[in-house]
Amino acid sequence: MDDYLVGVLSNIGIISFVALSAYVLLLAGEMSFGQQAFFAIGAYAAGIGTAMMRWSLAPALLLGAMVGALAATALGRATLRLSGLYFAIATLAFAEMVRIVFELCTWQIDIGGTLVGPKGTDGFGDIRYLFENEITPAQYLCAIYLLLALVLAAFMVVDRSRFGRALRQAGADPVLAELQGVRVVRVRLVAAAAAGALGGLGGGLYAHLLTYVEPRNFDIMLGVHSLAYGLIGGLGTAIGPVVGVLIDIGLLESSRLFVGYRMMVFGGLVALLLIVRPRGLLDERAVHWITTRVRDLIDAATARRRDHPLRRP
Amino acid sequence: MTKLAIDLVQNTLDGVMVGSSYALLALGFTLIFGTMRRLNLAYGPTIMAGAYLGTYAFLHLGFGAFPVAVLVLIGAALAGLYVERLCFRPFAQTAAMASMVSSFAVWMQIEEAASLALPRHLNAFPALVSGSLQLGPFFVRLDHLLMLAVAASATLLVHWALYRTRFGLGIRTVIDHRHAAALVGVPVTRILLLAFVLASTVGGLAGFLIAASEAQITPMFGMWATTKGLIAMMLGGLGSVPGALVGGLALGIIEAQAQWLLGPHLRDLVAWGLLFAVLALWPGGLMGAAGVDEAAAVQRRV
Repeated sequence: MDDYLVGVLSNIGIISFVALSAYVLLLAGEMSFGQQAFFAIGAYAAGIGTAMMRWSLAPALLLGAMVGALAATALGRATLRLSGLYFAIATLAFAEMVRIVFELCTWQIDIGGTLVGPKGTDGFGDIRYLFENEITPAQYLCAIYLLLALVLAAFMVVDRSRFGRALRQAGADPVLAELQGVRVVRVRLVAAAAAGALGGLGGGLYAHLLTYVEPRNFDIMLGVHSLAYGLIGGLGTAIGPVVGVLIDIGLLESSRLFVGYRMMVFGGLVALLLIVRPRGLLDERAVHWITTRVRDLIDAATARRRDHPLRRP
Repeated sequence: MTKLAIDLVQNTLDGVMVGSSYALLALGFTLIFGTMRRLNLAYGPTIMAGAYLGTYAFLHLGFGAFPVAVLVLIGAALAGLYVERLCFRPFAQTAAMASMVSSFAVWMQIEEAASLALPRHLNAFPALVSGSLQLGPFFVRLDHLLMLAVAASATLLVHWALYRTRFGLGIRTVIDHRHAAALVGVPVTRILLLAFVLASTVGGLAGFLIAASEAQITPMFGMWATTKGLIAMMLGGLGSVPGALVGGLALGIIEAQAQWLLGPHLRDLVAWGLLFAVLALWPGGLMGAAGVDEAAAVQRRV
């Protein structure tokens, strides 16, 4: 694979984490404009881990995810009472505050003769773990997609679990869910923490891919994009947000088909797509249709259907 | 001590002037939210479309300030029409998320179209008047004074339109209860469209005043106008007309004081922090109307 393709694919994989982070909250019925905050927090935390504390990559990424989850829990506690637009704007305010704080903070230490660490608006450079340990871009790409595959598998498991059903129920109608015994606030808090962890993990991967991050990488554009990915790709399955990222970055940004007009084409496509499918390409109905077809095929292949108790004569 | 008092009063004066344009921005925003019950993220970019049309005419066709103002309003109104047809009309009221993401997509479109039309990052915009007025120890910029006057009269005009005309009655009926309005024969779809275009025009006026006082415009203007309008609107209370005024003025004054005291970075931090605190403590905003978010209220009781 050439370097360009590796770069694009790495980018798609990493942005998928923020998209999934926004998607978790969409399932819980909350719209967040602020998931870029946890992406930023994770990026800085993981960068501090490897570049300043000289940790190896895995614990640094874990640190990023944990700090992301902690920050998200704190934010969740403060915004529990809010819903809908109020929640969306509160998360945006939080994310902008985080970004400005990163613009203001400088903390550098001397590592082998050079100053390393976050430096205000100039950003945080020299996160050189991959170079120092001779990890090739292709290897890093494999690591990213391995993690993404694990996350998607976890989504599949959770979606079928009691918690997954409670989450979708809380998203569809919180009052009804509460009346049926779902503890909506707690479900949403857990979802927010998981979303923060996902964002933080993606941020850590991002910082090490670029070796350099600066606060303005994490502005409202990233937040609204990651929210949009889920809605374009579809809310029926965790693959939806990844499809959304694939359409935007893979198809439009990287194919260079519409140089100079990408946003006009993409914007128009998204607006029209949402008119036809307000819950995205892979919405619940589409996912249900696909899974039943697949199940039918499997049933037919194993011939289990013959003695299925509910089969009509 | 008197020096401090003079500075504080001077900041407050500046804040009121700039805040009047924020209030106008928030007024347009809140009109759209009040009627549509959905957030129009493309509000700032809509204004920017008008402002870029004006700048284009100014730079390439040599238009003066007044014809540019007219063009800005027309451009914003047309862009508003486009946004309403593409992002709001086709969706059921329940698909609020789809509407919002769709308006974000249009934001991207407008931003790119603007930078294709005028590729430079910084473009000159016609200034209205220059110079300043001295009142005792205080200075007031003349263009800021004009901004205040225009913003105040535009607000009064919108108020008159809302409370003294048949069209305004229609808007208020739709805001109260859209379904009931349709049943008693209010042409809901047309009212929604007209309110949207009116709101975009009000935003265009705010955009013109701001761009003229800066004498320049950049492609960041769309995002700037959306965020400032949003903060001012949410501070005052969603969907409330007096709230938009209070929120806009409050934001202007607080920003002016914070900038003087703490510098531009912390000014933005203070503005966002204030918004966050208001949302977390009084979710309805400072002048929030009860029952704006009935579903949330029900949920809170459960």
